[in-house]
Amino acid sequence: MAEEMFFTIYFFAISLLLTVRVSSNLIDYSEIYQRNVSLELNPGLNSSLTSLPPGVGLLHARALGNNDTLHYLLCSLGAPALLLVHTNSKSSKVEVDWPAFLSTNASGSLRVTPENSVLYSNALVFTRLWEYSDTNDTGEPEHLPASSFFQPYELQNFTWRDMNNTLDPTAHTAMLCGGDGSENFSNGSFCLKFSAFDSVAREKSWPSLLHNANSSQVRVWLDGVTPRDNKSRFSLELQAVGDTQPMTRVNVLLSIDDEYTPSIFKVSQWVSLVNTTSPVLSYAQWKPVAYRKASPLFEDATPCHHSTPVTIAQRPPSGLVLAYFKGEPHTTGLNITFSIAGDPFYNTTNYLSWTVLIGLGSPPVDSFSPLVVAIMTVGLGTPLLIILVGSACVCVRKKRLQPQVYQPIN
Amino acid sequence: MSDTEEQQHLLGDEDGEVSSMRPKNESGPGRPMSALADPSRLPHRIIVLVFMCFLGFGSYFCYDNPAALQTQVIQDMDLNTSMFMQLYAWYSWPNVVLCFLGGFLLDRVFGIRAGTIIFSLFVCAGQVIVAIGALSNKFWLMNVGRFVFGIGGESLAVAQNTYAVNWFKGKELNLVFGLQLSMARLGSTVNMNIMGWVYNRVAALVGSPGHTALGVSLMIAGATCVFSLSCALVLGFLDKRAERILNKESRGTGEVIKLTDVKDFPFPLWLIFFICVGYYVAVFPFIGLGQVFFIEKFNFSPAEARAINSVVYIISAPASPVLGFMVDKIGRNIIWVMCAVTATLMAHMMLAFTFWNPWIAMSLLGVSYSLLACALWPMVAFVVPEHQLGTAYGFMQSIQNLGLALISMGAGSILDVKGYLFLEVFFCACVCIALIAVVMLYFVNHLQGGELNLSASARAELHKASNPDSE
Repeated sequence: MAEEMFFTIYFFAISLLLTVRVSSNLIDYSEIYQRNVSLELNPGLNSSLTSLPPGVGLLHARALGNNDTLHYLLCSLGAPALLLVHTNSKSSKVEVDWPAFLSTNASGSLRVTPENSVLYSNALVFTRLWEYSDTNDTGEPEHLPASSFFQPYELQNFTWRDMNNTLDPTAHTAMLCGGDGSENFSNGSFCLKFSAFDSVAREKSWPSLLHNANSSQVRVWLDGVTPRDNKSRFSLELQAVGDTQPMTRVNVLLSIDDEYTPSIFKVSQWVSLVNTTSPVLSYAQWKPVAYRKASPLFEDATPCHHSTPVTIAQRPPSGLVLAYFKGEPHTTGLNITFSIAGDPFYNTTNYLSWTVLIGLGSPPVDSFSPLVVAIMTVGLGTPLLIILVGSACVCVRKKRLQPQVYQPIN
Repeated sequence: MSDTEEQQHLLGDEDGEVSSMRPKNESGPGRPMSALADPSRLPHRIIVLVFMCFLGFGSYFCYDNPAALQTQVIQDMDLNTSMFMQLYAWYSWPNVVLCFLGGFLLDRVFGIRAGTIIFSLFVCAGQVIVAIGALSNKFWLMNVGRFVFGIGGESLAVAQNTYAVNWFKGKELNLVFGLQLSMARLGSTVNMNIMGWVYNRVAALVGSPGHTALGVSLMIAGATCVFSLSCALVLGFLDKRAERILNKESRGTGEVIKLTDVKDFPFPLWLIFFICVGYYVAVFPFIGLGQVFFIEKFNFSPAEARAINSVVYIISAPASPVLGFMVDKIGRNIIWVMCAVTATLMAHMMLAFTFWNPWIAMSLLGVSYSLLACALWPMVAFVVPEHQLGTAYGFMQSIQNLGLALISMGAGSILDVKGYLFLEVFFCACVCIALIAVVMLYFVNHLQGGELNLSASARAELHKASNPDSE
């Protein structure tokens, strides 16, 4: 009787695991496909005719799919911006009218052709870096008076180092580093590392976001900058620009899986939604965590949080956005605040890094690693196996013993 | 009141005749003692029991100081989680050896009274060293302190049991053991819920949180050890007095440890060891790391997290005697152990794979932990002959401590690299090993026709002639 109870409980435990596995939404395997990624710096620039101002660069990453193309454009003219254009053609191109692109009247100088093949376009602009003095250690700049804030660093005024030297055509990465030329940046820099991906994988270094062929990643870090106060904390202002479906809301999802990003059980997704039932067209996905060291350990993680996205009337100060978007695109903005109350201030390590994934379609969803699944299967399977084999043995033994018991009666 | 008197009569009938008669004979009718002062009477024993219970309070209170102050310790001492868990590992290391030696030292070297005082001194000294380590911001000194603390801690538990046997054997022994365990759990619970508050007050007093505040808080926690030390002194005095009045010889731990017995241990005993290690390593290191887990995964406030982290102990305090009584009455120990292990597995799986309210999982863990303690430890007595019992228990505690030391460090490293989900899966795997062992034990016992899984009545029939207070 008690044995039966035990077995019932045991099977309940197994079914619990199974239901959880189903509900945790494993990888959608239909999403796994490869793209052919190639990088190109300053497409169509004839340097003998047009000379680029120092620090200006335009990186074009082309991710060719089976019947579509994704164009990523990273540009350091003005505030650094990443433009994502999706076309339904395998031969779509980026065309830049360089003299116009560099002029004040840039509108329409950057096009993806043929223009009728463009399905969707969206840009993410890194506009400002806020610094504030968190005297009371609240970690909530929204509730601080304006006097706590220092003059923000306008990223459009930064001088960027040449992207050419950092271009890695095999890893599909490029780096944009710069500073505002002031003393605070004499030993430090604000950097963006762009990565384009050709298949599903994740980076080794935390937060190890899962990426796929429809996504790219930007890692932002602030290294060695002299803070203007002992209790300085930083916030990063982001703006999203979209033609048709702008990114208007941030969903924060709970995730039981913190294997790849230890101690972080949330995923934030800034998505474009027409309405709640329609599928997501594009997203910026991040885990609410920043790291306080370049090669972080567990305790170097510091949580971060975001403000509610708001609509912004004017376009962000990015040359790329001005050149590509015509008419009145929709702009929204939000701030990512690094660190929460009680966490060490910036000056303890003089380093902060934060990673965001930018892509098309539904954001990738984490799943259990094969190791976890294997451990649980073996762990729960072995006792079950022993129960089955053991019960069989006991039954067989009983059967074999029974005749001997009853025979003498005959 | 009438209850206790009745109990006393019954107990007197049972075996108290020698001890309860003697004072009258010795001191003569002219010098009647008050019940409170007469060592042979229940009221006096209750006073002794109070001191006995508080004997272990300090060490249990301070054992889980790191868990109660996890975030503070990690931040103030600038540690990572695996370094933090060394505080627990260093506690366990000396006990890998001392579990064999503790009984011997008490019996042959120090004697129970001096031994208890010495071990209490070790506990006090250890805690003071830990606090000084924090004050001077030297983490290695904290580890040294935990090592010294460990030398005293577990042996003190042996001394406490020996006192209990000395004073209560053949009387209310099981109840006394239950009460002592409850007090131990109470110490842990109070620690979990009060240390954060103490730290905050000290931090406010000192001016800022930091290693100084941590050191002062730990020093304050050390007061409980001093309190326990004074209990040890009083107990020593009372025991000496009782010995003089009753003219009795103090009984030792009765433990005779012979390492060569190990090779004669039957297979079921090894399975019991596996269950013990697999189970306890999934409970204590988890509690050590629990506070931050509840904060990070379930968004608990630090106070809430401390409260839920102590719920295992809170439940265990009242549940242990009740469940112990139930297991005694019903028997069928293997089934109870199976239930306990399965429930623990479910609790860990809930914590790992769901966002369900963790109170459910932690309460389940608390009940199953108490149930396991009641059902598992007595099983040893059924599978080894009585003369090997000391060795078997010593060995069991020893490998439990070995497991705890290793897994504490391992758990910290796993958390640092792989996060909480993987840590929970790791704990699940440990419980699964215990589960495999208990399932095997069930079949082995079944095939060998052992008595582990008999009901209490069947067992009683089997042992009709043998003595009734095998535990």
